[in-house]
Amino acid sequence: MAALTLSPRGRARPTATSTRVPAFRFGVVTRTVILVVAALYFVVPLVASGRYALEGAHGTYTLSAVTALFHDSALWSSLLLSVEIALGAGLLTLVLLTPTSVWVNLRMAKLRRLMESLTLLPLVVPVVVVVLGIYGAFPTTVVSSPVLLAFEYVVLAMPYSYRAIDSGVQALELHTLVDASRTLGASWPSTFRRVLVPNLRTSLVAAAFITIAYSLGEFAMASLLSFTTFPVQLYQIGTDQIDEATAVSVFALLVTWGLLLGLSLFAGRRTRARRTGADVPADPPFAAGVGAELVAEVESVLGHGDPGRPGIGRERGRDA
Amino acid sequence: MAEASQVEEAERVEVSKHGLSARADGGARSGVRVELVECERRFGAVAALDRLSLTIEPGELVALLGPSGCGKTTALRALAGLEQIDSGTVRIRGVDVTALPPHRRELGMVFQAYSLFPNMTAIDNVGFGLRLRKADAKSRRERAGDLLDLVGLAAQSERFPHELSGGQQQRVALARALAVEPRVLLLDEPLSALDAKVRAQLRDEIRRIQLELGITTLFVTHDQEEALSMADRVGVMAAGRLQQIGTPSEVYERPVNAFVAEFVGSVSRVPATVGRDASVEVLGRRVPLPPAQSAFAPGTVVDVLLRPEAFVVRADPYGLGVVTRRSFLGPVLHVAVAVPGQAEIVATLPATAGADIGVGVAVSVEPTGAPLFVTEQSAAVA
Repeated sequence: MAALTLSPRGRARPTATSTRVPAFRFGVVTRTVILVVAALYFVVPLVASGRYALEGAHGTYTLSAVTALFHDSALWSSLLLSVEIALGAGLLTLVLLTPTSVWVNLRMAKLRRLMESLTLLPLVVPVVVVVLGIYGAFPTTVVSSPVLLAFEYVVLAMPYSYRAIDSGVQALELHTLVDASRTLGASWPSTFRRVLVPNLRTSLVAAAFITIAYSLGEFAMASLLSFTTFPVQLYQIGTDQIDEATAVSVFALLVTWGLLLGLSLFAGRRTRARRTGADVPADPPFAAGVGAELVAEVESVLGHGDPGRPGIGRERGRDA
Repeated sequence: MAEASQVEEAERVEVSKHGLSARADGGARSGVRVELVECERRFGAVAALDRLSLTIEPGELVALLGPSGCGKTTALRALAGLEQIDSGTVRIRGVDVTALPPHRRELGMVFQAYSLFPNMTAIDNVGFGLRLRKADAKSRRERAGDLLDLVGLAAQSERFPHELSGGQQQRVALARALAVEPRVLLLDEPLSALDAKVRAQLRDEIRRIQLELGITTLFVTHDQEEALSMADRVGVMAAGRLQQIGTPSEVYERPVNAFVAEFVGSVSRVPATVGRDASVEVLGRRVPLPPAQSAFAPGTVVDVLLRPEAFVVRADPYGLGVVTRRSFLGPVLHVAVAVPGQAEIVATLPATAGADIGVGVAVSVEPTGAPLFVTEQSAAVA
C-alpha cells in the first residue's frame, strides 16, 4: 500500500514513493486540457469577432465601428427596453414561481409531477404558436405592451427557472421550517420573507439570472410581436452594417455579462451587509460570490455536490 | 377575547421585563390548562384522532406514547394548530383556540427533525420569535443569551446550525421555543434523532427546564423509557384513541388492557387456567388474579401477561425450559426461555447469573406475582 502523508488541509497526499502519483498528474493534466479547450471554444470566436469589428482597410485597425455604437440612439433605446423587460421578467419569475413551488411542495405534493410537466410545455410549443395565441387572446393595446413580453419571457424561461427554484425548495426541510416559524408566531408572509426566501437565496438568484439572460438574448418572440429589443435592433444593424453588427454583438455579450455580474455582486453584498450589519458577525457558512452560488445551484441540480460542503438542506448535525 | 389578549399582553411584557431568571426565581407565570375535547381527524378512511379527549393540568408534563401511526403526532399538531381537526374543540386556558392559526396560539414547539433556520446563528434562531414580537435588538439578544445559557450553549451562540451537533441543535431549538414565553411547550419526538447518550442527557435537561419554568408540556414519543422517565402522566395511544392515561407507575403496573400492557415495558404471554378462588394457575403455580379481572369463569383457558421480573428462573438440567437468548443490560440480564407448548418467556435475572444459551432451566412464577393482565387467548388490543 502506498504511503500517504497529510497535507496542511488534512487531505491525503501521496509521497514520492506513491504509486498514485501518475494518476494524480493525469487528473491535473486532463482537467487543464479540458479547461483550455473549453476556454478556447468561448474565447476564439469572441477574439475573432472583436478583431473583425476593429479591422479597417488594408490591415489597419480602427474604432469607428465601436464609436458608431455610442452615437446610435436607437441601439441605446433598444438596450434600455431589453434591460427593463429582462429585469421585469426576472422579478416576475421570483414573484410568481417561488410561492408556486413552495405551495406545491408544501400542500400539493401529488401535483408535483404535473407541475414539472406543465413547466416543460414552453419547450415543446413553438414560439410562433404562442405568438398567434397571444394575438388571438389579447387586444392590441395589451399585445403592444412590454409588460406582456416580460410575462411571456417568464413562461419561456420557466423550464429552467422553475427547476432552479424547485430544487432549492426540495432541498429545504420545508415542512419543518414552516411549522417552526408558524409556531414561533410568524404569519405566512413573515415566514416566507424571513425564513424561506433567505434560505432559497441561491436558487432564487439562479432562477432570476436564467430568466434575465434568456430575456436579454431572445429574438423570435420580440420580433414577431414587433418589439425593437436589443437582439432585434442588432439584427437590423447586421443587415447592412456587418462590422458595426459584430461590434454590437461583442458589446451585447459584455453588457449581459456585466449585468449578471453586477446583479450577483449586488445580491452578495446585500447578504453580507444584512449579516454583518444586523446580528451576525461571523462569516455566513454558505456565503458565496457569483461563481459559488451558481456552482452550488448546478451541483444541487445535478445531484453531485460535495457532500462535505455546508449548504442549505444538506447540513446535518453530528450527534455529540 | 380582546380583554383576554390585553391581559396576556400585559403578562408577557411583565415577564419579558424581568427576563427568564426572574421567572425561575418564583415570578414565573404558572402553566395553563390544555384541553382536547372529542377531537376527530380523519385521513380518508383512517381515523388519526378518534374522538380523542385529553386534559393537561397547569405545569404538567404529559407524554403521549404509542406506535407509529397511532395519532400521537396528529394530536400534538392539532393542539399546535398545524393540523385542522374535523370536529372537536381545543382549549388553552379555557379559551377555545380551535379556529386560531398556529402563530396566534402562543406555543413553543420542538420538532423531531432539526428545525433551526439555516441562515441564522444560534442566537438569531433563539431571538426569532422575539423579533416577530418587535422586541428591540438589545433585549432580544439578552434574552436569547439567557436562554442559550439555560441550555448550556452560551459559548456557541454565534454558530450556525451546521456547525452544531444534533444534540446542540435540539438544545437551541428548545431555547428558541422557550424564548417566546409560550403558554404550552410541545415536544414532537425531539430526541429521536440523537444517539443514546445525548438523548439521556437532553432528556434530563428538558425535564429540569420544564420543572424550573413550570410550563405545561405535551411530549410525543414512541420511546417508552423517555415517556416513563420524564412525564408526570403518560398517555398510551392506539388507533387514534387514548387507551390509558395515568402516572408512569399506574400505566406500567396497572395497564387497562393488553395493548397497554404489551406496549409499555416487556411482557410475556403465558397460557393459564382460571381457578375457583379468583386465582389463575400459571406454570404450575396458583397466583391471584388482578383485582379488576375476576370476570373469567373457573376453568377458562386464558393468556396471562407477566413482566420479566414476575418469573423465577433457576438452572435445572432437567427443567423444561432452555435459554435461547440473553441480553446483558448492566445491572440485570434479560433471558429468553423457550418452554415447550408456550410462547417464549422473557425473564429478568441478576447480571451475575450464569444463564448461558442452551442451558436447561426450570421456570415458575413468583408466588405473590399477580399477572399484569389476563386476556382471552390470542386477543391483542382491547
